[in-house]
Amino acid sequence: MIAYLAQRLALMLATLFAIITLTFFLMHAVPGGPFVSDKMMAPEIAAAINAKFHLDEPLWQQYLAYLGGVFTFDLGPSFKYPGMSVNQMIASGLPTTAKVGLLALLSVIALGVPLGVVAALNRNRWPDTAVMAIATIGVAIPSYVIATLALYVFAMRLKLVPTFGIDDWRGYFLPVFALSGFWLSYVARLTRSSLIETMLTDYMTTARAKGLRPGQILFKHGLRNSLIPLVTVIGPVAANLLTGSFVIEQIFALPGIGRHFVLAITNRDYTAIMGITIFYAVVLMVMILLVDLAYLALDPRIKFGARHP
Amino acid sequence: MTDMPVDPAMWAPAPRDPASLDRIARPNLTYWQDARARLWRNRPAMAAFGFLILLCLAAVFGPSVYSHNYYEQNLQYANVPPAFPTYAVPQGDGSSQEIYFNFGSQKLYLIGADGALGDLVRSSRKDLMRKTQLYTVGDQQVAVDTAKSTLGLSDGKPLEPAGWRWNSLYPLGTDQLGRDELARQLYGARISLAVALVATLVNFTIGVLYGGISGYLGGRVDMVMMRLIEIVSTIPLTLYVILIMVTLASGFSAVILAIGTVYWVDMARIVRGQMLVLKEQDYVAAARSMGASTWRILTRHLLQNTVGPILVTLTMLIPSAIFIESFMSFIGLGVSPPEASWGTLTSAAVETLRTHPYQLALPAGAISLTMFAFNFLGDGLRDALDPRLRS
Repeated sequence: MIAYLAQRLALMLATLFAIITLTFFLMHAVPGGPFVSDKMMAPEIAAAINAKFHLDEPLWQQYLAYLGGVFTFDLGPSFKYPGMSVNQMIASGLPTTAKVGLLALLSVIALGVPLGVVAALNRNRWPDTAVMAIATIGVAIPSYVIATLALYVFAMRLKLVPTFGIDDWRGYFLPVFALSGFWLSYVARLTRSSLIETMLTDYMTTARAKGLRPGQILFKHGLRNSLIPLVTVIGPVAANLLTGSFVIEQIFALPGIGRHFVLAITNRDYTAIMGITIFYAVVLMVMILLVDLAYLALDPRIKFGARHP
Repeated sequence: MTDMPVDPAMWAPAPRDPASLDRIARPNLTYWQDARARLWRNRPAMAAFGFLILLCLAAVFGPSVYSHNYYEQNLQYANVPPAFPTYAVPQGDGSSQEIYFNFGSQKLYLIGADGALGDLVRSSRKDLMRKTQLYTVGDQQVAVDTAKSTLGLSDGKPLEPAGWRWNSLYPLGTDQLGRDELARQLYGARISLAVALVATLVNFTIGVLYGGISGYLGGRVDMVMMRLIEIVSTIPLTLYVILIMVTLASGFSAVILAIGTVYWVDMARIVRGQMLVLKEQDYVAAARSMGASTWRILTRHLLQNTVGPILVTLTMLIPSAIFIESFMSFIGLGVSPPEASWGTLTSAAVETLRTHPYQLALPAGAISLTMFAFNFLGDGLRDALDPRLRS
């Protein structure tokens, strides 16, 4: 266990190092500096600004300084918002993004799994057809289309929910719905096929033969075994919910990290782009690691460290 | 119990026909014939295939056949919907003049005798007391109450809609700069499909070569290459597409480069897995003993036998490439205006959603239908090409 954890952490560090390096050099490969603008700037002012942000130092020195900053949790100042650091930017957006993201993750699990179970238990009857039809739509339609349509129908036409912001509890409905739509459908489909496969196994026949109650069969034998492949997708789901929040936060005007990120892209705020990318990457890697550990704990058949054939 | 009379001739042995023993009951089908037959029987997949062919034809030939182009602006006719209600304004000489008032953009148009949109009428003055805008139509004054969305004559008599007319000038309406929606849509389809196809081809080439080399060579090379894949797959790829797009100036080739170089990991894994199994087969040993080079074995013997899984992965890759492109365009990193793709069209429609909702229908519908089609086709191909599903 410890050896496996150490190995994973080492791989994570290597990945993080690769991400920081790639991000840094990509952002510094952009033609023109971050302060090149249409306005004419006196050379003294330009020099002063460059000195303030250490842009006059050689590239490798800037790189080392940035690397040191990241490992001491300092992502540097924002180039476009004077007096604001990237840390502050992330801190101000985190609560919104985390709330919407966690609610979306919750609805993916709390709705996707039961829908899949209902479909599997009623295989080839109308509940199955209905769930699969909805799931097919959910997988095919891009999240931003779902978001805009929902915004138009429920917020602008029916006026059931506010069109932007989450000051009101009703404001959470649409962003969470739009964000979770794809993965909810995906999880429903996965649960269905996994449960159908499980129901054909011998131990399910045994369970039925020894006269267990249907609930016991379903929950203790069927669902428990068919949920294992689901646990593995939770990591990617969390990752995609995070990146999916870029458009969702933009459409619903939520003050989250995704919105800061999109704004930083539009403003070409390079330190903010770098910082938020690295922040996202770290969150995702930690999430995937946690999910993998949970997976190992849930399935006794898998040995530590022997996951990759 | 009575004996049943049995014709002694029935006890005679049946004639032996040695040829019938070897006869094959059903026609002999090759792998591809079988797959084609299965795919043909799959109605949703065939419908999806037909739709995609039509879409490709429209995207390739549409822009050159259609009379409008995607970049020409006509601000006079900005934000005109595909169909609109008309009002008849009675004139002094007993005739009537048909008009259309666009509440979204607050513009009044005359309608010509042929039913097409005519000239724009400027507001002559504001009636501050009644909170109305006055327009001169022929010899009459039309008062528009923008708060209540009603039209009336200047003497206070309300005007009722006379009927609906299709927009014969712009069949699917115009956008906020007065550009033809249908032309932009066709052009958007061209860009989106081109990005998807080229990016998928780039991914395909990288993925197949990477996976093929890694799986075929095996050993230490395989281990290093797989470690590299492990690192790449922990990097959130959407973020990297964004970073590459920020670094390169946005545009068609940048989109292709960004998407094309990032999503090959799945393909490489699948090809490697197939390769590990196939390279132990006897026919590879036979080829090698006949002196075939590594490259020849790889391309002629091994890759040809992984075509099935590769094809399925490809049809799954195309919709995700379309999705990523539109996602990038949506957050402002795609092709630059006046060029259009489904993503930029949707994001432009979101800005005017409140006043001109019809602009969303086309790009949203087009991208959703295309994603559906690729999903159905991909599922159908997987069912058709997977030998395990053979009955």
